[in-house]
Amino acid sequence: MKISTLLKKVNNIFIDILENEDVVLTYATTACDIEDWDSLNHIQLIVAIEKEFKARFTSQEILSWNNLGEMLECLIFKIP
Amino acid sequence: MIFKLNDKFEKTFIVSDTVYEGFMETFKDTNALHTDEKFAKQNGFKGKVMHGNILNGFLSYFVGQCLPQKQVIIHAQEIQFKNQVYLNDELHFEATTTGIYESVKAIEFKFTFKNKALKVIAKGQIQIGLLI
Repeated sequence: MKISTLLKKVNNIFIDILENEDVVLTYATTACDIEDWDSLNHIQLIVAIEKEFKARFTSQEILSWNNLGEMLECLIFKIP
Repeated sequence: MIFKLNDKFEKTFIVSDTVYEGFMETFKDTNALHTDEKFAKQNGFKGKVMHGNILNGFLSYFVGQCLPQKQVIIHAQEIQFKNQVYLNDELHFEATTTGIYESVKAIEFKFTFKNKALKVIAKGQIQIGLLI
């Protein structure tokens, strides 16, 4: 899967979880850029992404990401 | 991780007078379907229908009291009501661990409530977070 395709799919997950059709993610997006991306929604986003792509992150991986692009780079190697 | 996939948890709950009266006293939902035997029968039910959300109280008990770890919080919950519950019905609750998300310390369960006739009363899923 191309990383651009992954970005679109993850964008849809954000729209669903945050219930905000206006969310437009880029590789540089961070939690600070999205109003409702708080700690509880963060958990729901990770759970939804792990479920959708049948992938599992570690807490260390999550802590290491500086932006969405880094998350996608991590995710793309985990998709079965 | 204390939880494993497909772990099963079971518990029996009774919708007793105390539960029913306590729910009504607390939330003031005295709709005739829940309080008037005649009205309930006229509308096709066997008797007074218990409040579906009593089951959410049982779910709260399950999460707070029945799990092997007490430091837990509910993140999300979804329930579908399939059949009616009547006063003094005995309900068999079963929950199965269906998802473990160690990265964010979240656990997902699917659950069912069945009555003594093994009819599914309600089913759904619940996601909890582990606080430690």
